[in-house]
Amino acid sequence: MLEGTIVDLVPYGDRVKDLDYGWLNNESSFWGAGGDRRFVSRAAHNTRWEQWIESPDRDRSAEIGFAIQTKAGQIIGYVGVTWLNHTHRLALLGEKIGDPAYWSRGYGSDALMLLTDYVFDWLDMRKAWALTTSMNARVMRMMEKLGYTFEGRNREGTLADGQRFDWLYYGILREEWPGYAVKAAELGFTGRTE
Amino acid sequence: MLEGTIVDLVPFEDDYATYLKQWMNEESWFRARPFDRREPHTEHDVKKFIEDMEKSDHGQLIGFQAKNGDPIGGLLYDHEWTRVRKAAAIFFVGDMRYEGSDEVLDGLLMLLRYSFETRGMHRMDASVLAFDETRLDAYRRAGFVHEGTLRQHVRWDAAYVDLHMLGLLESEWPGYAQIAPTLGLQASDLEPKPKPEPEKKDEKKDK
Repeated sequence: MLEGTIVDLVPYGDRVKDLDYGWLNNESSFWGAGGDRRFVSRAAHNTRWEQWIESPDRDRSAEIGFAIQTKAGQIIGYVGVTWLNHTHRLALLGEKIGDPAYWSRGYGSDALMLLTDYVFDWLDMRKAWALTTSMNARVMRMMEKLGYTFEGRNREGTLADGQRFDWLYYGILREEWPGYAVKAAELGFTGRTE
Repeated sequence: MLEGTIVDLVPFEDDYATYLKQWMNEESWFRARPFDRREPHTEHDVKKFIEDMEKSDHGQLIGFQAKNGDPIGGLLYDHEWTRVRKAAAIFFVGDMRYEGSDEVLDGLLMLLRYSFETRGMHRMDASVLAFDETRLDAYRRAGFVHEGTLRQHVRWDAAYVDLHMLGLLESEWPGYAQIAPTLGLQASDLEPKPKPEPEKKDEKKDK
């Protein structure tokens, strides 16, 4: 659907559903949820998908999700708008690379560049924003590399393995985003293959 | 009832529900909830809001009133995150005669007392539109710390305005009994509003 340099953003499907069961129970959830650890059964996972992702009643005006697929066809995580606010033209973004083997290798950056482009060029949003925690140096580096501005922190707003960490807010305005092609080239993504 | 220095916290009973029909359409409401769309709130919206808050496992809608029983506005203890022990502290002034008054500050202090000393929260969140000095002043006097500014985050009257993010930690909260006497809270001593007329029952049922 949205073609990047090393990943494409594609619709959710049964492949994502199967993989997501593992991701919910591995370290990616700990990082994605700011330190939470869940024990999710297969049955609970199926119910969650039926009631949320696949539900016909789901409010599709407020959220949009993509699976992240490598050029080799491997689904490695998901990225999307978790809260789309049309009044303020704000898009709150979220991302999870569920398979740790793909961390710190540019896949998350490529996917987030595609999504940033999408919310400005297709959804006509004015600002994209995202949160991470002060324990997540990988994501902090990625946000800064992509041109997001650090705008504030929610001190001691989360708890991970007995320690308090801050939530960090990052934002980028439409006029600050140079476009996927320019940013990808700047970061050395152009022409890069797996 | 939870008794403060110049206000009391009370359940959001019938009189408050009647007042809320007006309050939910006033400026203070929209400033308190800056992400809400600016639109008229009908009686149905008001009823639904109260019902949703009453059903919520993560929030409380609380009335606050002067010592003479005059309703001032509402306090929202909202978005409680149990694992992390944090929630949002929001106030709205319904009776605009009290805007910027010490009663509003005492209401906020009492909300913090409830949050930290009854609910056991670790931190409280708040956000304020950057131009809203009156609200910002109340949060600052209550001890909130400015933690950042989300740039051009809210569409407000033909402009995109900044949103200040504030927070107060359990370790920064001295306790209501300690902080309230230091702030010199003075009652406004305003005349109480006339009580709202009782709701008329549906007469059609009797016909």
